[in-house]
Amino acid sequence: MFEFAIFFFFAAIAVIFALVVVLHRNPVVGALSLVASFFSLAVMYVLLEAPFLAALQVIVYAGAIMVLFLFVIMLLNLQHQEEAPTRPVQQFLGYSSSAAFVLGLVYYIVKYAAFTSLPSGPFKTDAMLIGADLFQAYVFPFEMVSILLLAAIVGALLLSARSVAR
Amino acid sequence: MIPTHYFLILSAVLFSIGVCGVLTRKNGITIFMSIELMVNAVNLTFLAYARQFHQLHGLIFVFFVMAIAAAEAAVGLAIFISLFHHKETIDVDEANLMHW
Repeated sequence: MFEFAIFFFFAAIAVIFALVVVLHRNPVVGALSLVASFFSLAVMYVLLEAPFLAALQVIVYAGAIMVLFLFVIMLLNLQHQEEAPTRPVQQFLGYSSSAAFVLGLVYYIVKYAAFTSLPSGPFKTDAMLIGADLFQAYVFPFEMVSILLLAAIVGALLLSARSVAR
Repeated sequence: MIPTHYFLILSAVLFSIGVCGVLTRKNGITIFMSIELMVNAVNLTFLAYARQFHQLHGLIFVFFVMAIAAAEAAVGLAIFISLFHHKETIDVDEANLMHW
């Protein structure tokens, strides 16, 4: 029962702050609400018996990536820029199609993916097991990701340094 | 234990909120944040199914998704800085440099 209480509390926080991200006009408020949403998703990861990924979620997402977002928003001084209102037809189509999308998804999840039982026994997901898998079965994608990150660093530097120098 | 489909429904709701943000907003950074929201919703689905089937592969995929999201955020935000220096705005409707 306690688990369910935690789940519903943090699910509500995640959904409410995600709505703030989408609906609020000020991007700084949006970025900070996204941090709150990511924190409650980290709680979900703990509930799913993946504490290592919950830690990664807090450090990488709520920490690094969102700091980058906030930094760019502050750097460009976007909190004072008024966002042009969206066309009503676009707004209507966006809201109605995403509402239809969520209804369809929930319908199919309830109909086809409503698992009644979980496999017995504990699900071991500590950092050691993940690391062993990462460096044995997944060593090639791991190296590819490291090269991708290097390319991203170079690309980000090139894109932003050139435009600042101009 | 919380059943898997609770997490799947939460993930579907978060994903749709992200879709809604991408479709209705004009501020490039907000659109980008909505995309991050969708990526996180998919991560939640991966973890829910990983627990359902007792497979570590889902967790490792989430790890890769996080790394690639970091790379994507770095490059995307650099593009927005570049766009801002060109156009003095990050309204995505103004980003029409490639328009013929």
